[in-house]
Amino acid sequence: MADTSAQGAGGLVRAEFRGTASEYFGIWMVNILLTIVTVGIYSAWAKVRRNRYFYGNTFVAGQSFDYHAKGKQIFIGRLIVFAGLIAINIVTAIVPLLALVSPIVFLVALPWLMARGLRFSARVTSYRNVRFNFTGTAWGAFTSVVLGGVVATLSLGILAPLASRWFYRYLFNNLRYGDRSFSSDPRVGKIYGAALPAIILFVVGIVISIAIAFLIFMASNQLPADGSVEEALENAFAAGLFGMIVPLMIIYFLCAILYRAGVRNVVMNASLLDERHRLFSDLPRFGYLFVVVSNLFLVFLTMGLMRPWTAIREQRYVIKHSGITFDGDLGTVLDSMEAAGVAATAEYLDLEGFDFGF
Amino acid sequence: MASDARATSLKRIAEGVWHPPRSSEAITAEIWVQGDSVIVRRAGASAGEPALALGFLSTIEVSSRVGNVPRRIAFSNGSLFETPDNAGIDQLLTKHGSNRAGAFVHGLERFHPRLIVFVAAVFLLATAIYRFALPALVEVAVLVTPDVVPQTMSAGTLKSLDATLLKPSQLPEAKRRAIEEGFGDLAKRADRGTGGYSLNFREGGAIGPNAFALPSGTIILTDELVDIAGDDPDMVLAVLAHEIGHVDKKHSLRQIYRAAGTAGLIMLIAGDVGTAMQDVLTNGAALLSLSYSREAESEADHYSVILMTKSGRDPMALARFFTALQEKLQVGTEGTSMFDTHPGMPDRQKMIEQWSKEARETAATRTK
Repeated sequence: MADTSAQGAGGLVRAEFRGTASEYFGIWMVNILLTIVTVGIYSAWAKVRRNRYFYGNTFVAGQSFDYHAKGKQIFIGRLIVFAGLIAINIVTAIVPLLALVSPIVFLVALPWLMARGLRFSARVTSYRNVRFNFTGTAWGAFTSVVLGGVVATLSLGILAPLASRWFYRYLFNNLRYGDRSFSSDPRVGKIYGAALPAIILFVVGIVISIAIAFLIFMASNQLPADGSVEEALENAFAAGLFGMIVPLMIIYFLCAILYRAGVRNVVMNASLLDERHRLFSDLPRFGYLFVVVSNLFLVFLTMGLMRPWTAIREQRYVIKHSGITFDGDLGTVLDSMEAAGVAATAEYLDLEGFDFGF
Repeated sequence: MASDARATSLKRIAEGVWHPPRSSEAITAEIWVQGDSVIVRRAGASAGEPALALGFLSTIEVSSRVGNVPRRIAFSNGSLFETPDNAGIDQLLTKHGSNRAGAFVHGLERFHPRLIVFVAAVFLLATAIYRFALPALVEVAVLVTPDVVPQTMSAGTLKSLDATLLKPSQLPEAKRRAIEEGFGDLAKRADRGTGGYSLNFREGGAIGPNAFALPSGTIILTDELVDIAGDDPDMVLAVLAHEIGHVDKKHSLRQIYRAAGTAGLIMLIAGDVGTAMQDVLTNGAALLSLSYSREAESEADHYSVILMTKSGRDPMALARFFTALQEKLQVGTEGTSMFDTHPGMPDRQKMIEQWSKEARETAATRTK
């Protein structure tokens, strides 16, 4: 941390997470308590404290990220959304036919909301006194996120890697760090390769759940039924069918985690900062799956009390397996945004679920 | 730096890193204070070396403390001093009495036995929200939902059910007529009147003996259920009255709001539940919204009793139907339990008996 203007001369630098469960427990508990006591209003400030804790404890090359959104800013953003929903409700109460139009309006507005949400998340994030920025347009969000989602769904997930590629290209190719830009070009073949364990698990899982359904079907079939054979058969079929939905949901859930982890590795390793410094991720898929699933059980078993511990555990695991390989010196990065403070406070649209998750 | 009246001595507060305005350049530095002036100097700077940044306690912006996250001190020229020395910065701030709100919240958050009290308070409050606030929210939501919503919600449902599970009814014409006539009689006395409900006969196939109502007032009755009722026409009508009850009391809408509201409240209040838990909550809510709660079933039973009594039929027919259903269905005891929307048959029969008695008594007093 001497007078060097950037991280070491080269080589892989792994990120590091320094948060602890005992610290976060207090933050989390007070967040919840104040959110309840203030009838939800504090949740905006709670989000800021939570993000500042997680960003501020994520270190790369000895310095941490920072989260700059203000509680008031997020609160106003939520008020706008809330007012919009109420307005829609009032309008549809007066002109019922508009209820059919409002979902269409929402779908049209969605790409714009996504682009703005991503821009918000980027602009309130900084590292070494320099802010991130996102320059993606609504049209870009439409062609990548919305069309990608449609393609992935219509192909029953077979083309999901293609959609992932579109999404992450949109994300990284529009992401800026000060006056430097990110670029990413993950190859579809590699994403398919990374998705392979998820695909195999999915196929095996479907076979197993069909087998379970078949067993239930056979078992209930052999029970002495007062009704006709046909009726008993049909009831048994229903039992098998319902017995299948829950296993299928669980399998889908597990596969999605594996897929996400695999795609993250491919995408990060295919992304460059300033066309030279390669991002790095070696998140072990099954290791990550174990962390996520065991965390889920712990949270359930302790009625949520272990959530802070599990959150820290997951974050530490993910951050530990992330990093950046510097190719020479990054040099001094300058914040390219004119009057960064003003630009950032003008942002209100913080779309939940559209964080970058550094 | 105008010389302060108190003329306090120069004091070093903390060590850290200084970034020039809008730059990622990092210079190892120290922060000093003299009176209400704040000075950042290069670490190991010689006496004559100019300061990196100057400011006053009133013009600098110090980030509030969160855990032990590095503190940021922003100067008005856009330069930034970062230090992991939270204690040093806190000392400076308390001495000058600034940043009270942030310090207060951080004080609450510290790992301390007091947190046990907070946990207890949160559990109590959460229970209260679930018991009182959630039902109230659901009522408000139901109240403000325009009627088109349940209509559009159930528009495609019958069609997709027809395409997948249901088959055309095989009931003899005469039997169908009789049920329709009785149904019309019930509908006339229900909240929405004759035009408010439509009865659809189908062969149940995989879903077997069943009757269900869509929020729009579309009621579907399977041949298998009619078969179970046998020669007791009131049994079928009692079931239909029960379904009308679900429609009139808007149970589907309530259940959807209840499930979504529970998941939404957990996510809002807990803030960070994790992606995995978020998936479980949303999917769980979707699954839950497919079934009626125990209270909804009981309410619909009560509605059936009242409606049957009003139209001069035997309200106890519903209890008889449950007996017939149980006798007929000794199969499917496993696997379906999770989706069993009609639990506790004996209890429900007992309640039906009690309500029937009450309904008959009130009817009797009214005629007197």
